[in-house]
Amino acid sequence: MGFWLELAASGLITGGIYAVVAMGLNLQYGLMRIMNISHGEFLMVGAYLTWWAQTILQVNPLVFLPVVALMLFVLGLLVYRLCFRPIARTAANAEVVEARSLLVAFGLMFIVQNLAYLVWGADLRGYTFLSDSVEIGGARFGANRLLVFGFALAASLALLAALKFTLFGKAVRAMMQSPTGAQLVGIDTAVLHPAVFGAGIALAGVAGALLSMVYEISPSMGEPYTVTALIVITLGGLGSAGGCLAGGLLLGLVEAFGMHFTSPSLKMLLSYGVFILVLLARPRGLFAR
Amino acid sequence: MTMSGFRERPSRVTIAALATGVLALAVAPWVLNEFLLSLALTCLMYAGLAVSWAMFSGATNYLSLATAAFFGIGAYVTALGYESLTYPVSVFLGGLAASAFAAIVGVAILHLRGAYFAVLTFGLGELVRHAITFVEKKYSGTVGRVLTETPEAATVYLTVLVVALAAVAVCVAVRSSRFGLALAGIGADEQRAQTLGVNTRLVKIGGFALSAFFAGALGAAMAVRWTYIDPPAVFNPFIGFQTVLIAMVGGAQTVAGPLVASIVFSLLTELLRLQFPYLFLIILGTLLILLVLYLPGGIASLWTRKRAGKRDG
Repeated sequence: MGFWLELAASGLITGGIYAVVAMGLNLQYGLMRIMNISHGEFLMVGAYLTWWAQTILQVNPLVFLPVVALMLFVLGLLVYRLCFRPIARTAANAEVVEARSLLVAFGLMFIVQNLAYLVWGADLRGYTFLSDSVEIGGARFGANRLLVFGFALAASLALLAALKFTLFGKAVRAMMQSPTGAQLVGIDTAVLHPAVFGAGIALAGVAGALLSMVYEISPSMGEPYTVTALIVITLGGLGSAGGCLAGGLLLGLVEAFGMHFTSPSLKMLLSYGVFILVLLARPRGLFAR
Repeated sequence: MTMSGFRERPSRVTIAALATGVLALAVAPWVLNEFLLSLALTCLMYAGLAVSWAMFSGATNYLSLATAAFFGIGAYVTALGYESLTYPVSVFLGGLAASAFAAIVGVAILHLRGAYFAVLTFGLGELVRHAITFVEKKYSGTVGRVLTETPEAATVYLTVLVVALAAVAVCVAVRSSRFGLALAGIGADEQRAQTLGVNTRLVKIGGFALSAFFAGALGAAMAVRWTYIDPPAVFNPFIGFQTVLIAMVGGAQTVAGPLVASIVFSLLTELLRLQFPYLFLIILGTLLILLVLYLPGGIASLWTRKRAGKRDG
């Protein structure tokens, strides 16, 4: 019993991180059709900033979490201003935005990842943080893992609540439903787009900061998360934050149990298998009405 | 791109220039030293990949990242048939295998557009790669194969040259055919093309498979350059990315654009990558962003714009 609980928990913990990363990407893609392939790189930046704060300044990573979010939010604003606003302004339609933003994001990916190699080197880095284990119901969990899961879930739920209950969230949802309609009722794209893009990047940074508490980090850690995030978005449906949360947790569970029954080297194969099945059977996402 | 652009006849000067170029390329193995020959080989490989990619994806606006998968499948055909097949046969079979794979996959995924198609095709490369790794581990115990006797550099070069030239020739021929117009029609407005009587499904599958043939053949031809073949080397996503970048930076709606861009990129790669691996990719990234933002039609728009201006004035 304890073993299955541990397996499920490890799936949910990875799934929680997937959900946060995917929600960030979903905000960017769902709202602006920005296909940000470099999303995972900002996760890596968040992880390294947290590692820096922990090893150089001895700051508690949890205390540093909001700082990471803020720093990446500002970075996101800057990236949007420099790279994506010109595309949004000149492109004729959404398809053009998608294709061009994909290319620009490839460029960003090269830049950010290799800057990280130059600054931080290619070695694996890490620090220990709350690694004692806790026993619940006969199963043992690392305290840091439980904490990471808690924070990932909290971040996801906070975003869901913000989208549902605040005026800003309402504006975002309106913009997703109908960009023209939203502009007609006075929602300002010039404010909303950069802010939402920044929020998406901030979420990636938060996920990276959380990951750094559990795993070792390297400049190439971000890429697999980008791909996973794309899979989760597909599972959950474009523009659906709730779908992202459910999809992320589900994918985490599928991976954990799938790897247990087959072999750990099949992890990516399993995610792609799920991805392809969903796209073929339910191309609008598992939870589409 | 105006419709008349598709049916333009090349002038005599262009034909003469082309013939000289091909001749110069063909004698290269006896003129160039080893380093320059390998540089030329890289140029030719990316030229073939980018042109064949643009033939389908540039025309239809289906952003395919499957090049790495096709390339890897071709390379694996060479690796598997190395002892029983001759080199040209395995190159041809590599192309056919990639083509067949593209056709089967195309049936399933070519109804998806935009980012979904891009991500799914990217996933294909990874999927095939992980699947091959898994099968090799399970049944032969080792991952990868060693090629003992490889053909001479000149043979490899000439084979890649032939495949690349074939890719360009087929691409030019397709563009002025009904088939090519149907592909371009799908890119402009798929529903309209359907209404006008184009069997979009068949045309898309055909185009996808045709463009995969060249990627597979190039993979099979280039495989002998690595003496050791393993999945991470031949299903390298960088090959796929680079192909897409070259085609789009050059101008995916043209033939000449990707050709020019493949030379520029290969030179940049060879000159900078070894000395400054990280800086090189940062420069590449910056260049890419600047080009997309300020020259969205690709390098080709430098001369097509000029020509369009002349015609109007």
